[in-house]
Amino acid sequence: MVAFYIVLLFFLIGMLIVGITLVISRILQSRKSYPEKYIPYECGELPQGEAWIQFNNRFYIIALIFLIFDVEILFMFPWAVVFDTFGMLAFIEMLIFVVILLVGLAYVWAKGDLEWVKPKPKLAHLAKKKGA
Amino acid sequence: MISLQSYLIISAVVFILGILTILYKKNAVGILMGVELILNSVNLNFLAFSKYIDAHINGQLVAIFIIILAASEAAVALAIILNLYRDRANIDVTQVDQMKN
Amino acid sequence: MSNLNSLQYFIPELFLTVSILVIIIVDLFLKKEKKVVSAYLTALALLVAMALSFQQYNFSPASLFEGMVVLDSFAIFFKILAAFSTLIIVFISLPTFRDKAEYYVLLLVVTLGMFIMVQVNDLLMILLSMEMVGVISYVLAGYNKKNLKSNEASLKYLLFGAASTGVMAFGFSYIYGMTGHTNLYLIQQALLNNNPHPLAFFIAVVLILAGLGYKIAMVPFHFWVPDVYEGSPTPITAFFSVGPKAVGVALFIRFLTTIVAHPASTGLYDFTQNIPIKLPELLAVLAVLTMTLGNLSALQQKNIKRLLGYSAIAHVGYMLMALVVFNGNAIVAVMFYAIVYLFMNFGAFWIVETITPKLKSERIADYTGLGYRAPFTAVALAVFLFSLTGIPPTAGFIGKVYLFSAVIKEQWYLLAVLGVLNSVVSLYYYAYVIKVMFLNQPENNDLIEVPLYNKVLTWVLLIPTLVMGLYWNPVITFTENSLGLFFGK
Repeated sequence: MVAFYIVLLFFLIGMLIVGITLVISRILQSRKSYPEKYIPYECGELPQGEAWIQFNNRFYIIALIFLIFDVEILFMFPWAVVFDTFGMLAFIEMLIFVVILLVGLAYVWAKGDLEWVKPKPKLAHLAKKKGA
Repeated sequence: MISLQSYLIISAVVFILGILTILYKKNAVGILMGVELILNSVNLNFLAFSKYIDAHINGQLVAIFIIILAASEAAVALAIILNLYRDRANIDVTQVDQMKN
Repeated sequence: MSNLNSLQYFIPELFLTVSILVIIIVDLFLKKEKKVVSAYLTALALLVAMALSFQQYNFSPASLFEGMVVLDSFAIFFKILAAFSTLIIVFISLPTFRDKAEYYVLLLVVTLGMFIMVQVNDLLMILLSMEMVGVISYVLAGYNKKNLKSNEASLKYLLFGAASTGVMAFGFSYIYGMTGHTNLYLIQQALLNNNPHPLAFFIAVVLILAGLGYKIAMVPFHFWVPDVYEGSPTPITAFFSVGPKAVGVALFIRFLTTIVAHPASTGLYDFTQNIPIKLPELLAVLAVLTMTLGNLSALQQKNIKRLLGYSAIAHVGYMLMALVVFNGNAIVAVMFYAIVYLFMNFGAFWIVETITPKLKSERIADYTGLGYRAPFTAVALAVFLFSLTGIPPTAGFIGKVYLFSAVIKEQWYLLAVLGVLNSVVSLYYYAYVIKVMFLNQPENNDLIEVPLYNKVLTWVLLIPTLVMGLYWNPVITFTENSLGLFFGK
């Protein structure tokens, strides 16, 4: 338990020192501002567009479908632990579960949501951004 | 040995942070993050109680299912938010007010 | 009961699962003009599920899957109700969503969720079934993808729903911490034996009320109702107002009779609280708030769907009012009211769904002179609205009589008086719609053609609404026989 007090002390002193340094720099700094200061990179490279660009919607759709099969694994860990005790029964149960998921995957596939069509580049849109 | 109280305090803090996130965020995805915080605090509670109070592992099982719930909820939520974004290019919930009376 | 043995008592649910998979696969092979087949298949699946559930009345009550769910006549009653409400919704949706197979599959999934929701016996199952109904409902609310209002309804439903489910789960975690069990019956026993601190228990119950209250649209968790009801496609609005809500009330009763209370020694269906936390008083306040707020807000509505949304909140208030006393009488009254409410509310929404495409408007002002332009439809809507108010020769009156008598028998006079006053307030806005339809002269006198299909379905909903107002004996007997709650692991 005592060890934790040392950690606490360390934490507090750390916070204190950081705080003091911040206050000192606040007092000493000179406050001049000019437009270049607000650019992300102050090395002469002009940023183009914004950092928050839009991703293609398809990434999200694929991600959503992936998510389902991702968390499915979570059920398999406890199942794998008790597999020896239950044997065939557990196997069939998991088979049914996976088949139900596969029906879903087949449905998505047949509906064409897995096709990766290349989006048209929006040239007009990009050109406008550059001009601005 | 970490006591049960420590877990409970942390989970309560996370829960309250989640509630605050839901109340103060204007971005729909931000609100979803608040929901995830709440569900994680629930998980922490269940795991802690499962370790200290329950003779079985019921709490751990509930935690597994809550992870799945959170994932499925997030999947549907993102799909709905994406759909909303397509229509109005904005997911600020304060501006979602077509119906006012 | 062990997992394998339980399967034979779980046939309706298994059947629904299989039919969901079959319909989704069949849909892939159907040609565009034959897509309507999947709607018929859905209706067939629901009918069979209903019949299979009905057969389960023969089984003696038992808990299944190691205590995860219970099968008792109370659950079977609500399973039949849920399947029946979805069946009617399938027919209500046919004109709008003729060839949308996915839509019908989603309806089936919600029905499966509702089936499980009424037979829960474990905290985990409560969470899972509520999410199963909830998550699919969010999708259904936003089914008109291009419609901004529909999207908005979906988003609001989702955000409120996700938050309140999270809060409820937090309450569950405290209940689990206090008792060390997730099984509802074992929780009840542990609460009785260990006597945890009342304040901690009260906080946990209030957190859980947030989730349950959201599901049944109880004040103060009702904010989503008006917007979701207005924005969703009308068939879906009708669905939300009956199926998931009735099932939510069933879950509420299950929660009250296990976690909050236990059967008393005085009678078979008398309950006393596990730990005295003044929950009846809290529920009474919430019930009065719910119906008053619902009715008062409904007074100033101009959109008919929004009006029905607020009236749905008020009706939850009436049902909660009976649950304040939670004894056998009250539970029977609520179950009976759920049947009555199904017919009259579906009726009202069906008329809205019939009329809206003709008028191209959901505003009440545009219903002016409907009594002259579409006499039968207007009269039917008037009957449904009178029934919702609770005026004598209709089923709504009988339903309310049972609710109020259950409350009065336990000497909650003030509560009953407030309930009656609320009914009077509700008369004002229901009668306003009727006045607009019959007493105001329309600007154009064109007759509105109502298709035969719409008329037939209107009759199907109208006849029970009228008949149950005069001859309700068989229904109430059936309901009383269905009151069988099973407590056990």
